[in-house]
Amino acid sequence: MKMPTPPAPSSALEDDFDPLLELNFDAGLEPLMLELREVVQDPDLPTVQRWRDRGGRVLAHFQVYFPEELAHAAGMLPVKVRGSRIERREADSLFGSALCSILRSSLELALTDRLVPDLFVTHPICDAARNLAGIWSRNLEAPAEILFFPQNPNSRHSHTWLTGEYRRILGHIEEVAGRRVDDDALRHSIHLFNENRRLLREVYAIKRETPWLLPVDDAYVLVATAGLLPREEHNALLRRLLPLIRRRERKPKDRMRVVFEGGFCEQPPLDLLAAIAEFVDVVDDDLLIGLRWILEDVDPGSDPVAGLAEAYLERSSYSPVQHDLRKPKEEMLLARIEASRAEAAIVAAAKMCEPGLDEQVAYAQALDRAGIPYFLSEFEEEMQGYDHLQVQLETFVENILFQ
Amino acid sequence: MIWAGGVDVGSTQTKAVVINERRRIAGRALIATGGDVVAAAERAFELALEGAGVPRSRVAGVIGTGYGRYKVEFGDTQVTEIACHARGAAEMFPGTRTVLDMGGQDTKAIRVREDGDVLDFCMNDKCSAGTGRFLQSAARALDLELDDLGPTALRGRRPVEISTTCTVFAESEVLSWLARGRTIEDILLGVHRAIAKRSFALLRRVGIEDQITFTGGVARNGAMVAVMNEVLETEVNVSEASHFMGALGAALFALERTGDDTVQAVAAGEEEA
Amino acid sequence: MAKTVSEDELVGRGAREGRRLFDAWYAELTDAAERGVPAAYVFVMGSLVELLRVFDLPVVFPEINSLQTAVRKVSDGYLSEAEDHGFSPDVCGYVKADYALQLRGGEHPRGRIPPPAIAVLTNACNTYIKWAEIWERLHDIPVATIDVPMTRGSTRYPLVKSSTADDDRDRRYIRGQLEELIELLESVTGRPFDEDRLRDTLRWTNEMGHAYRRVLELNRSRPAVFDAVMEGTIFLGVANAHRGTEAGARYFQELVEEMEHRVERGISALGEATEERYRLAFVGVPCYPIFSDFQRLFSDWGGVFVGSSYLWFASGGLNLEHEYDLEHPLDALADGVLAGVRMATDSMIFQDDALLRSIEEYGLDGVVYHPVKSCRTVSTGLASSRKRILEESDALALYIESDMMDPRVVSVAQLKNRIDAFFEGLDSRKVRLDAVEATVGGAS
Repeated sequence: MKMPTPPAPSSALEDDFDPLLELNFDAGLEPLMLELREVVQDPDLPTVQRWRDRGGRVLAHFQVYFPEELAHAAGMLPVKVRGSRIERREADSLFGSALCSILRSSLELALTDRLVPDLFVTHPICDAARNLAGIWSRNLEAPAEILFFPQNPNSRHSHTWLTGEYRRILGHIEEVAGRRVDDDALRHSIHLFNENRRLLREVYAIKRETPWLLPVDDAYVLVATAGLLPREEHNALLRRLLPLIRRRERKPKDRMRVVFEGGFCEQPPLDLLAAIAEFVDVVDDDLLIGLRWILEDVDPGSDPVAGLAEAYLERSSYSPVQHDLRKPKEEMLLARIEASRAEAAIVAAAKMCEPGLDEQVAYAQALDRAGIPYFLSEFEEEMQGYDHLQVQLETFVENILFQ
Repeated sequence: MIWAGGVDVGSTQTKAVVINERRRIAGRALIATGGDVVAAAERAFELALEGAGVPRSRVAGVIGTGYGRYKVEFGDTQVTEIACHARGAAEMFPGTRTVLDMGGQDTKAIRVREDGDVLDFCMNDKCSAGTGRFLQSAARALDLELDDLGPTALRGRRPVEISTTCTVFAESEVLSWLARGRTIEDILLGVHRAIAKRSFALLRRVGIEDQITFTGGVARNGAMVAVMNEVLETEVNVSEASHFMGALGAALFALERTGDDTVQAVAAGEEEA
Repeated sequence: MAKTVSEDELVGRGAREGRRLFDAWYAELTDAAERGVPAAYVFVMGSLVELLRVFDLPVVFPEINSLQTAVRKVSDGYLSEAEDHGFSPDVCGYVKADYALQLRGGEHPRGRIPPPAIAVLTNACNTYIKWAEIWERLHDIPVATIDVPMTRGSTRYPLVKSSTADDDRDRRYIRGQLEELIELLESVTGRPFDEDRLRDTLRWTNEMGHAYRRVLELNRSRPAVFDAVMEGTIFLGVANAHRGTEAGARYFQELVEEMEHRVERGISALGEATEERYRLAFVGVPCYPIFSDFQRLFSDWGGVFVGSSYLWFASGGLNLEHEYDLEHPLDALADGVLAGVRMATDSMIFQDDALLRSIEEYGLDGVVYHPVKSCRTVSTGLASSRKRILEESDALALYIESDMMDPRVVSVAQLKNRIDAFFEGLDSRKVRLDAVEATVGGAS
C-alpha cells in the first residue's frame, strides 16, 4: 500500500526534498529545456497534481505578486495562477465581453478541476481582477480571499498596515494548512526565497550579458517553473541548469537589444516570445514580474512578516497595477532600458487589459521624448500564428538598422 | 378554415409563413430584404399566400418579427424573434428545452418551457463575432459561395485553431493559415469550430437542457450542425425549415391570438344570450 | 419647510430643482476656471468633499464631466481625440473624454472646467489610480491616493458596516492617511485645517444621507414614485456635487416631501398615461449616450426602475445607515470613507445578496443587468451575479451590453430587440401566474 508522503516540513534542509519533477540531467541541457517547456505549458499542471496526490495543500494566487513565503512556511505549495492556453468550455458563460483572457482561462482551470486549490487569493490589481473573489466564491468550493496591496505606499502608515494585512492572510493560511506558522519557520522560508531571487537575478544577468545563450522564451521557462514547484526544488533545478546554460555552445550574434514590456499579468504565448527571439535579443522584460517583484533580499530580522511587507514597499520592481509616486512607470521603463543597454523596446499589452493599455500611452510618449525606438503591439494568451507580428517586427528592426 | 401569417424581417433575408388552423405550414417564402424593408415584408407575405393558395382576406391575423418587425405594416402586432424562434422550435420539436438560433447578425441562446414560452435568453454582444457574419467573411477570404462552406468544412480532418471570432480579423486569420500551407478544408472546419465554441458559452449562460433545437439560417449548414453536436456532446434537432422558424413562431402567435379572440367572442355571445 | 406649496409646484420639483442646482454648480466651475482658481479633482466613489470644502477648494468630478459629454451627445468627438493620442478603444471612456477635455483646456458642453491644483482619490476603482497618474503627467500636480481596503473575504458580504479587528486596523490606516492629506491640503492652499468647519460639512452630509435613504425607501410603494435610472441619476448628481452643503441637504429634505406626497396620492413615476406593469431593478451604469431613450424602451412596456445599484455605489455611502459622529470629525470621516467605499465595491463585487433582498422588499419582477464595455469595475461580475439571481429568486433577469459613453458601441435596435423579448417573457409569465391564481381562486 502506498502511503501519501506528507509535504516537506518547512524546517527541512533545502536539499532534503522529494522532487515533483523527475528530470534526467544526464541527457544534457536541450532535452531538459524541452521537458520544462512542456511542464510550463501543460494546462493540467502536473507538478501541482503530484503535490496534491502526496497529500499537500495548495494556495493558488492570481497575478501579480503574492508573498509566497507565507504559504511555504505553512507547508503549502504556492502556485502562480497565470492563465493557460486551453479551450474554454465553462468559464466564458460567467463573463461578459470586453474582458481579458487570463481571467477567463484561470477560472476555467479551476472549474475543470485542473487547478484544485485549498485557498485562492486574488488582488485588486485592476477593475476586472478585483471581481474575481466574487466570481470564484459563487462558483467554486475553495475559499477565495482578497489580499489588498497598498496603492498609497507613500504613506507613513502603509507598512504597518500591510504587515497587519499579511498577518490576516497568514491566519487564513494557517487555518487551511492546519498548522501554526512561527517566526522561525517563516525566516527559513524567507532565506529559501532570497536564494531563489538571487538565482532568478542570475538568469536575468545571463540574458542581459550573453543573450545568445538564453533567449527570452528559455528564460521564461526557467522563471515560470518557480510558480509550479516548491522553491527547494526550483533552487536546486536552477543551480544545476545555470552552469549548463553558461556552457551552451552558441555563437554570439550581433543583434538588436530590446526590452519587452507588457507581460506583468496576462502572459504572451511562449511561441510568440520564441518568434520575437528569432529577430532580436530580449535583454530585459517584465514577464512574470511578480515572481521577481522583490529586488533584493528580504530581511528575515526580528519580525519576518514586517520584513516581507517592507520588501514589497521598498525593494520592489514596478508594474502598471501598482501606484507609487516614487516610481512613475515611464521613468522606470527608461531606467530598465538604460540598465540593460537596450536600443529599443517592444511595448505590448494584453487585449482588453485596461492598465496595460493605459500605460502604453505613457510609455510611448516617454520613449518618443527620449528618442528610443519602440514597437507597439497587443497580444492575447490564446492567439495563434505570429507571422503578422514577425513581419512587423522585422520591418521595425530593418528600419532602425538602415536609419 | 382559419389561416394565420408570420413575417420575419431579418437584416439580409425576409421570411414569411402562412399556417392553417391545424398549425401546419401551408405556404412559405424567402426573399432578400434589400433596401426597402416595407416592400420586402409585403412581397414575402404575398408569395407565401400564393404558395398556400389562400387569399389575403381569409387570413385572420399576421404578426411581424425580426429586426424589421415594425415595418410589417399590414401586421396586427409584433413579437421579437426570440419568442418566435422559441415558439417555432417547440412546435417542430415538442421536446425542445433549449434553442440555439444562429443568423447573419445575431446568435441567440434561449431556454424554453414545454409550451414554448421563453424562460431566459442571451445574445451575442454588439459586435457580430460568432455569428453567421463570421462565416461570410471567411467565405469571402477563400472566394467560396456561402453554400459551399459546410460541405468543404466537412472534408476537413485536422481543424486549425482559430483564435478570434471577430469578423474584422476573420479574413486575415484565414489568409495567414493559408500562407502556412493548411488546406481550405481544415481552415473552414476550424472556423466552424470557433463559432460553435462561442455559441456554447452563450448556451451555458442560459443553462443547457435537452433537447436542443438549432434554428436560423446557419442551421442549414451541415458542418455547423456537426461541430455543434460535437461541442455539445449530443444531437441537436434541426428542421429542414430551420430558417423559417421565426416566421412560423410568429404565425403561431397570430393563430393563438385569433383563437383567443374567438373564444372571447363566443364567451361574450353566451353572456349576452 | 413650513411654507405650503401647491401640488403643481411639488410634483416634479425634485427633477426641476435638481437640474437647477446642477446647472448652478457648473456655472460656479466655469466662473472658477475663468478667474483662474484651480480646483480639487475627485471621484464619485470616496470623494472626501467634506474635507475639501474646509479648504474652500472648488470640486471637480471628472466622471460627471465625462458622462455629461455623452448626455450632451458630443462624447464621440472627445473619445476620438483621446484615441488619436494613443488610447485604446477598449479602455474607460470617462478617462478618454477627460483626457481630451484637458487637452482642450477644460472646454466642456456645460461651460469650462478649471484645471486641478490637486487630485484626491481612493482605490474605489482601479482606473481612478491610472487616471490620476495621467493628471500627474499632464499638470504636474500632487496626487493623494487614499487606500481604502475593500471587503476581502469570500463570505457573501451583507452590505452592512462591520466592526472586526481588521476593520479597526483599516480605519486607523485611513485616519493616518487623512492626516497626511490634511498636511498636503494645507500646503497646497496655504490655509490651516479647521475642525469645526469639517464638523459642519459632515453634519450636512448626515442630513442629506438621512433624507436620501428615505427617498430610496419610499419607492417601495406601488406605483413607484420615481424612476431610479431617470430621476435617480439627477438625484445622484445633486448628491455628489452638493454633498456637505446646506443646499444639498435641503434639496433632499424637500425631495422627501415630494415623494411622500406622491406616495400618498399614488402619483406614478410613469405618469398618468402609463400603467405600472413591471417593477425592475437596474444593475450597472446608465447608458448615457441614449439616456432618456433607454428609459423609454422600458417605460413603453410599463416597466419602471424601482431601484438601481447605481444609487448605491455612486452615492458615496449615502444609502448606508451610517452617520458621522460629530464629536470626532476626523475619525468619523475615516469611518465614513471606509464604509462608503466598501459599500461601493461590495455593491459591484458582492451585490447578489442586496439584490435578492430588494427583490423581496421592493416587490421586483425583474433585474436588468447593464454591463458596459468601458467599465470593468462595474461589469466584470455581472454575468455571474445574474446567474445567481436566476437560481435563487423568481425574478427574470435581462443582460444587455452597451456602453456608458461611446455611442459607437450602442445599438438601439439591438437593445430594443432584447428588451422587447424580456418584456414578452414577463408578459407570458404573468399570463401563466394569473391563470394559476384564477384556478386557485376558483377552487377555494
